[in-house]
Amino acid sequence: MGVIVKKVELTWLDRTYVWPVLQGMAITFGHFIRNLFTTTPNRYTVQYPEMKREIPDGYRGLHELKRFEGGEIKCVACFMCQEACPARCISIEAEEFSDLNITQGFQEKRPAKFSIDMLRCICCGMCEEACPKDAIWLRKDYELAAYDRLSMQYGKWDLMNTYSDADGKAHINQDPTPSVPRRTIAL
Amino acid sequence: MDKLASLLHTSPATAWMVVKVIIVFSAVMLLASVWTWVERRGSAMIQDRIGPNRAALFGKIRIIGLAQLLADGIKFFFKEDLVPAEANKGLFWLAPFLAFVPALMGFAIIPFGRSLVSGGVTYHLSVLDPGNGMGMLYPLAIGGMAVYGVLVAAWSSNNKWSILGGMRASATMVSYEIGISLAVIAIFMSANGYDPSDVIKAQGHTPWTWFVVRQPLGFLVFFTCMFAETNRLPFDFAEGESEIVAGFNTEYGSMKFSLLALAEYSHLMTASALIATLYFGGWQVPFVKDPTVMLSVASFVLKLLFFAWVFVWVRWTLPRFRYDQLMHMGWKVMLPLSMANLVFHAWRMSQGH
Repeated sequence: MGVIVKKVELTWLDRTYVWPVLQGMAITFGHFIRNLFTTTPNRYTVQYPEMKREIPDGYRGLHELKRFEGGEIKCVACFMCQEACPARCISIEAEEFSDLNITQGFQEKRPAKFSIDMLRCICCGMCEEACPKDAIWLRKDYELAAYDRLSMQYGKWDLMNTYSDADGKAHINQDPTPSVPRRTIAL
Repeated sequence: MDKLASLLHTSPATAWMVVKVIIVFSAVMLLASVWTWVERRGSAMIQDRIGPNRAALFGKIRIIGLAQLLADGIKFFFKEDLVPAEANKGLFWLAPFLAFVPALMGFAIIPFGRSLVSGGVTYHLSVLDPGNGMGMLYPLAIGGMAVYGVLVAAWSSNNKWSILGGMRASATMVSYEIGISLAVIAIFMSANGYDPSDVIKAQGHTPWTWFVVRQPLGFLVFFTCMFAETNRLPFDFAEGESEIVAGFNTEYGSMKFSLLALAEYSHLMTASALIATLYFGGWQVPFVKDPTVMLSVASFVLKLLFFAWVFVWVRWTLPRFRYDQLMHMGWKVMLPLSMANLVFHAWRMSQGH
């Protein structure tokens, strides 16, 4: 099957080449003038460090481990996210803790250690999908950089506080209830 | 001027010459380097980008990216000055100067303001005084020299891409120079002389007596050929990333490269000065019969800057030609057009116009 190629018939004015050139120059001059009188914030380019794009909802940036109002971690150390992670960047160490009560949602298991290797993480959001407790969210922070590799290993307390400032929540660095030291479960 | 002359222990004429040379060439070089910035910012505006605006003096004063010039200069200055092992070392060193010097030299003949009389002495505002016998033939001859800069740079690099670019550029320049010469001859006939001051005087102070109106075809040919002559888009066949890497300056780096780039922009300035002088009345101010010296200089500089901007403007508007299209245009379009222009004006003069 052949393809019919549409041939553009040039008028004699187009053939002179001068008139189309002038038309093209008028277009570029229009752009030039428009940009000359447009202030930098109104241009298409986002001047990154000073200006930032609005991050859309559903953006998958840096993770947050969610907590209850009392500061108890929502995560129950079920290892679902670790299993789901295609980049194998999540590693969890579970522990049991003694005092059960209603506010903690009948948890009896929680991560003793929960670390994400941000150097490996591809921000695919599979952990968020896999989580049965809605305990891990991928949110809007995308500026992940550090001067050394160790700083990119996010631990449990780092992940619980990633959005503390943005949400106006308190920084926490310990669980409200102590763990039972005898039993730790690792996969 | 007499004071300066006595300070320098020379005659006033020599002192005036020295002052002229310093002012003219430093102004052209400064403009050329500023134009690298204009090119980048202008292209950004045309393409809805922003362009270099980050470079700042002392990390604070941004002045809309003008410090980029300084940053570029410093960067080029401190880069390693590599000379390829197989290159012809002497010519490799010489080529940037061969490109740069003719680009500046062409400017010497251009009167950038009307002559002023002070203390019974006439001071001419052009490096070469009028009536020197060379007239407008001089920039044309020097323009022919500009081929050597490109060609020597290309050949001495001992690089296939370079030599291809250099050959193409020199072929372009040589074939378009014929168009230029014929267009200019028509001007010489109408102006009744080939000295720039004659040409300017013949154009008068009214825009409709300028040669752009009297010889539009000649202007078209001359203007187009100037793009080929300065090796700029849409005729920049000395380089071309998709075809021959960076062309004639593939092997160049550091200050040598920067000198080649500056040569291109100086050439641009000289070309716009030529266009302004030949077709737009030089230093003539529209509708002002006897402009003051400052006004005439301002008028000339404005025209010069406008045409320099048109060079940038055209570069970011038009796509490049293919090489065979370029040759086709040079020989089969520009040459006959300029010949027709010449014959037409010769005929008109024979009819007593």
